[in-house]
Amino acid sequence: MAELIALYVCGLIALFAAVRTVIEPHPYRKLPYLNVMNFAIAGLIVLVLSHPLSILAAAAYFVGSTLEANAIASARAAVMGND
Amino acid sequence: MLADYIQIPIAAALCWILFVTVDIVFRLPEKGGVKGAAAIGRKIREDGGSLPGGTMMGNIVSSPDASAGTLLAACGVYVAGLPGGLAAAALVFIGNRICHDPGYAGTTGAVLASIMVTGFAVLGFAPENFIAGMVIAILTIQGLSHPYASRLLTRIWGWRS
Repeated sequence: MAELIALYVCGLIALFAAVRTVIEPHPYRKLPYLNVMNFAIAGLIVLVLSHPLSILAAAAYFVGSTLEANAIASARAAVMGND
Repeated sequence: MLADYIQIPIAAALCWILFVTVDIVFRLPEKGGVKGAAAIGRKIREDGGSLPGGTMMGNIVSSPDASAGTLLAACGVYVAGLPGGLAAAALVFIGNRICHDPGYAGTTGAVLASIMVTGFAVLGFAPENFIAGMVIAILTIQGLSHPYASRLLTRIWGWRS
């Protein structure tokens, strides 16, 4: 039961963050919402795949998505400055 | 054993206090670790927020910090107990190094969270409730209102400095 409640909480928050990422017009402010979605999906990976190695999948997904967000924000800051 | 709908808010509050404290102790609001983090902080200030809090939010986006450490440690304890949490701490440290971050905040957060989640599991808390709790905790900082969250973080940063 606890697993199901945690799963639904993560799923709903992932959906909410995804919608806010889409409707937020400014790229810099999209990224924190996207960050919330990544947290929720990393949680979902482990809750859906309850296996000791699923922590590797969750960490790989999370670190990869963080690296992407880092690259997008830094590239934009380097090219466009503070807009 | 407490019901899940009571455990999750308690877990969320504990995770929130843990990751904000560790991030503030490791001076995340002081400056953007990378250009992108500083730019996100400036944008949040422009839109009515506060710069140190915004910078901390930018740093959370750009590198696995204590919040990521807390989430992955909770996941690790859920799948494999305390050793799983410590394995998650090692993965967070590697992730930090990939993102050109020294990694102390993320690794410290992960180790502390592993101990916290394991300890509360002994008291009857389900580790999966800490996963949901951490997702709620990060939602309150990054996903509800950037101006309010950044001002709150700046106030806590003010107490530290």
